[in-house]
Amino acid sequence: MSNDSPLETKPAVPAVAPDPVVRLVAVIELGTTSVRMALAQVQADGSFQPLETLQQALALGKDTFTTGVIGAETTEACVRALRQFNTALQEYQVPSANVRAIATSAVRESENREAFLDRLYIATGIGVDVIDEAEVNRFTYLAVAPLLQSVPALRDGETMIVEVGGGSTELLHLDRGTIVSAQTYRLGSLRLRRLLDEERAPEAKSGKILRSHVDRGVGQIQYSLPKNQNAALLALGGDARFAATQLDPKWDKRQVVKISVSALSKLTQDLLAMSADDMVQQYHVSYQDAETLGPALLVYVRLAQGLGLKQVLVGGATLRDGVLCEMASQGAWTDEFKRQILNSSTELGRRYHVDEPHAHQVADLSRQLFAALQAEHRLGPRHELLLNVAAMLHEVGAYVSTRNHHKHSLYLILNSDVFGLGARDLEQVALVARYHRRAPPKPAHEVYAMLGREERVTVCKLAAILRLADALDRGHVQSRRDLDVVIDRGECRIHIRQPSDLTLERQGVREKGELFEQVYGLKIVLQESADEVSHGQG
Amino acid sequence: MAKVDVPVFNRELSWLEFNQRVLEEAKDESVPLMERVKFLAITASNLDEFFLVRVGSLVLLVAEGVTRSDASGLSPAQQLEAVVARVRTMVTDQYAVYTDLEQRLRASGMACLSAAELSPDQLVHAENVFDDEVFPVLSPVAIPAGTPFPALPGQSLNLAVRLKPAPDGTEPRYAVIPLPGILSRFIRLPGQGEVQAMIRLEDLTIRFIDRLFPGEPVVECVPFRITRNAAMGVEEDQSNDFLAEMTELLKRRKAGDCIRIETVPSISRMLLRYLQRGLQVPDTGVYEVSGPLNLAAWFQVAGLNAGKGLRYESWEPRYSPQVDLKQSVFDTLARRSVLLCHPYDSYEPVLRFIEDAAVDPGVLAIKQTLYRTSPDSRVMAALRRAAERGKSVTALVELKARFDEARNIEWAHALELSGVQVIYGVKGLKTHSKICLVVRRESTGIVRYLHLGTGNYNERTARMYSDISLLTSNADLGADASAFFHAVTGYTEPPAFLKLAMAPLGLRERLLERIESETERARQGQPAMITAKMNSLVDERLIEALYRASQAGVQVRLNVRGICCLRPGLKNSASITVVSVVDRYLEHARIFRFHAGGQDDLFISSADWMPRNLDRRVELLVPVDDEENRAYLTGILEAYYQDNVKAWRLLPDGRYVRLRPETNRKAFRSQEVLYRRACEAAESAEQLKPTVLEPHRPPTARGPA
Repeated sequence: MSNDSPLETKPAVPAVAPDPVVRLVAVIELGTTSVRMALAQVQADGSFQPLETLQQALALGKDTFTTGVIGAETTEACVRALRQFNTALQEYQVPSANVRAIATSAVRESENREAFLDRLYIATGIGVDVIDEAEVNRFTYLAVAPLLQSVPALRDGETMIVEVGGGSTELLHLDRGTIVSAQTYRLGSLRLRRLLDEERAPEAKSGKILRSHVDRGVGQIQYSLPKNQNAALLALGGDARFAATQLDPKWDKRQVVKISVSALSKLTQDLLAMSADDMVQQYHVSYQDAETLGPALLVYVRLAQGLGLKQVLVGGATLRDGVLCEMASQGAWTDEFKRQILNSSTELGRRYHVDEPHAHQVADLSRQLFAALQAEHRLGPRHELLLNVAAMLHEVGAYVSTRNHHKHSLYLILNSDVFGLGARDLEQVALVARYHRRAPPKPAHEVYAMLGREERVTVCKLAAILRLADALDRGHVQSRRDLDVVIDRGECRIHIRQPSDLTLERQGVREKGELFEQVYGLKIVLQESADEVSHGQG
Repeated sequence: MAKVDVPVFNRELSWLEFNQRVLEEAKDESVPLMERVKFLAITASNLDEFFLVRVGSLVLLVAEGVTRSDASGLSPAQQLEAVVARVRTMVTDQYAVYTDLEQRLRASGMACLSAAELSPDQLVHAENVFDDEVFPVLSPVAIPAGTPFPALPGQSLNLAVRLKPAPDGTEPRYAVIPLPGILSRFIRLPGQGEVQAMIRLEDLTIRFIDRLFPGEPVVECVPFRITRNAAMGVEEDQSNDFLAEMTELLKRRKAGDCIRIETVPSISRMLLRYLQRGLQVPDTGVYEVSGPLNLAAWFQVAGLNAGKGLRYESWEPRYSPQVDLKQSVFDTLARRSVLLCHPYDSYEPVLRFIEDAAVDPGVLAIKQTLYRTSPDSRVMAALRRAAERGKSVTALVELKARFDEARNIEWAHALELSGVQVIYGVKGLKTHSKICLVVRRESTGIVRYLHLGTGNYNERTARMYSDISLLTSNADLGADASAFFHAVTGYTEPPAFLKLAMAPLGLRERLLERIESETERARQGQPAMITAKMNSLVDERLIEALYRASQAGVQVRLNVRGICCLRPGLKNSASITVVSVVDRYLEHARIFRFHAGGQDDLFISSADWMPRNLDRRVELLVPVDDEENRAYLTGILEAYYQDNVKAWRLLPDGRYVRLRPETNRKAFRSQEVLYRRACEAAESAEQLKPTVLEPHRPPTARGPA
């Protein structure tokens, strides 16, 4: 046909490929019932648009939560899926540095996770990070953050963001867009399934038994929530999305959709009465999803009913969106995100009745010292945030007993949820808080002993600053103190601009400055400016 | 006859009516002679395929003793009986047409001579051809008494020979001479003046038959042709009614029983009985035709040089003004979507789309489905070039495309050698959708371009089939296309699409939804209308939905080229009309239009409304959203309902009547109108263009301005 063409020129094509100012990034998530990949393009301004979503059913959760280990068949199915994802990534020429693979509870809790992850890495070159509950919370928050701004019900009131997974239920409690708490409960759809299977409940009774298990779990969750009929419940996760799509086929997943609890309850009852085969046939879901749908939806229903809600919201945001968000910002935590972490630590401090003004003062002084000592410690903003959290929480141990309260702080923090902080972050925070007084870090100390060299050094650097900051507020002065810090000839000379009597502080520095001098090799000199003193007193 | 809840026509009989409409074109005096010959050949080739598969299935079902009725209330035996009766009438009709056309061909200087008619010159030439080319490749098979009948290939032409009994015996002796397919059916002879003369292969061979049996008097020699059952291997083609039975019995029965013998009426009873016994064909499978066998071979005659006026005037495809081929197709598509109606609009932009993608440095990936394509096609060449240039190229090749398998395997292999990732279909499903996705990296990010069509990626058929192409960079469709390919290649579970609907996962449901929503509107007293063009309408659930729509008062206008099981004009279908257009181009596009309260939703699709398409094939339903494209598409769809030249109307009793212009009304031939419109659009666009003098440049100077 080309011979017939009356046209002389071939179409114009650019001589070189356009410069890729747009980055392509991908997230692979090994979840409970499936392995999924989201591929997105990130614009120069950090905004991103999803390009591809791939999903393959995989029985990771079923394996882990019934046998404790991920079986060989599932492992190989996972390898196949990742290889196919790799092919899809190659089509877009996504560099491997732009691919983040994460795994959640099903892998985290499997006994053979190291072998499993090693097999994946060897076979596909994809290194999978196992993320803990707090990181799940963080990514969830990042994913829903845009909704928190745009949906009035979420912005202006009290909100529970709930995701029922296979192994656990994640709950973020927010008040006017600010995180009050982040909790993880061991109530999961596959765990519930397993309980049913173990009890070998007869068909007729299984519904009743399931409900009693769910209610026990939900009771626990409700215990930690305020009863507020005006609160909004935002349900996330594949099971919730499935239900929302059934109840409102026109739902645009970029928005939240409101569904009535009674309709959800009806759908849940219908699903619970169906066999997995029927569900696969009727709804085109995978067998893995068919297993989790009923129990997961029942948790949402009972939770909503327990809170006295008539409606729940469902959001299309996923963990992967959160990870993409973080990748789009190239790992930097936004101010808003930091604010949420500090808020969450403040809330935690309140629960243990810490002296809040003192905690804030110490946090503020730590921040100033951290900034002033930047050249000495060379730590980044993330560590600054950990120091801040440690400052907010350093005295929580006093709730248990004032004697050795630093040691109580250690385990209280280790066993709490601070929104946004993962287990390793929390360890560092707990240790920094623990070393705010008394014995300096020793290799024999528990928890500290488990750290790597670099992390130990970090803990020492941060703890030294925290001690000094704590010493500088010996007097528990309520007003803000501004420091001028000068590093000069082996001395760290600290001027406190606001005039006051520094006797207490001097004594504090004498008692608590030793670690600082060891870590930084600087002698602390507290200086009062005569001018300022006289000026202030005049 | 079983009670029928939903009255429908039997699909086999409906198909035969379609073939009759094609035969009517061969009778039509207003159609040029060579085209009439071609239409006749088409009916013969269609009928062959019908025997292979459809009659083959019925024969198997009857042999198995299945007595259950199909949707029209006929048992397999009743269907077979009705089909055979209808075919016999049709074959008689075919040969009447043949006799007429044969005379006209002679009158136009194309003579197929009998051996007796040859001039001395011609006879000498014929003898030479026989000795040099025919004789060496013939292998007569003698069949000694008591030995099994030789295994003859299906669809082949043979000579049956009866020899005198051996000197020591009384029984006649028999032999069969297969006429190999490599030999041309028509042998050119020296002409006489303007006349092109030929002789048919079987006539030539019979003339010199003695040379094959030296010293043996040949008593009788007649041509015959056999058709073997090919119902096996085309399971997906079975109607839903008998799918389970067919699948089961195909496992047990050996393939390839002979189901039809075609021969000439002059055959002796003795020889015919002998053939029937040997091939195990009952009387119902014997067709004595008054003319040469295998009229499908007349495609070759239709291709002969012919005088002026003996063929349709050429309708050269036009370049749609929507696409400026001097630019990159991507530049055009970045601005707007393009809808083309082939063959009136040239297929060139579609080929360019793939060819541009192959060499464009920004293109990362090309993915496309290939069903039936031509081996030397530009599409294949472009895909290979793209792969060789390091682009990620995926071809979803369907090997089950009926009767094309061998050819498919060959080119699929060539693709693989170039580095194309070839995927051989989806397990259990035939990939029938026509979609090509191009992923391109641009300065603003990834942009996806796609072609969605109703016809195969085949430049040759794109000049003979009427099909729709949609070229677009619509982001939602692009995302759907990506998801579609990931789903069919097994990379992901079938996703929820933004705009597309895909069979077998929800395409029928989407159509039912649309029909039901029109029905509901009609019930509430709102205007409601469904307009749909397709090749076949068989699916009972959709037919039922249309009956319900009609009862509610929805105006339903169907344009069904081939099988239509829906019965219009009955009590439950009073508001349904069905037309069928059969003209020079094969109507192949599927276009659906729903009134939707004035919103007027338009779709194109690869799917017919048949169970096999909706349940056992991967098909797509594509919305057409842009205003300009919608207007164009609506114009195309509506044109067929104005046709009063090449359109037929289906009557409640299953007969079709040709529509004629009413008195004082102008003749309206839809295909011609569509062609004229394409010409006018191309011309007016040409006139609007400023005159620019463009010098020829050496090749190196070409490229971006």
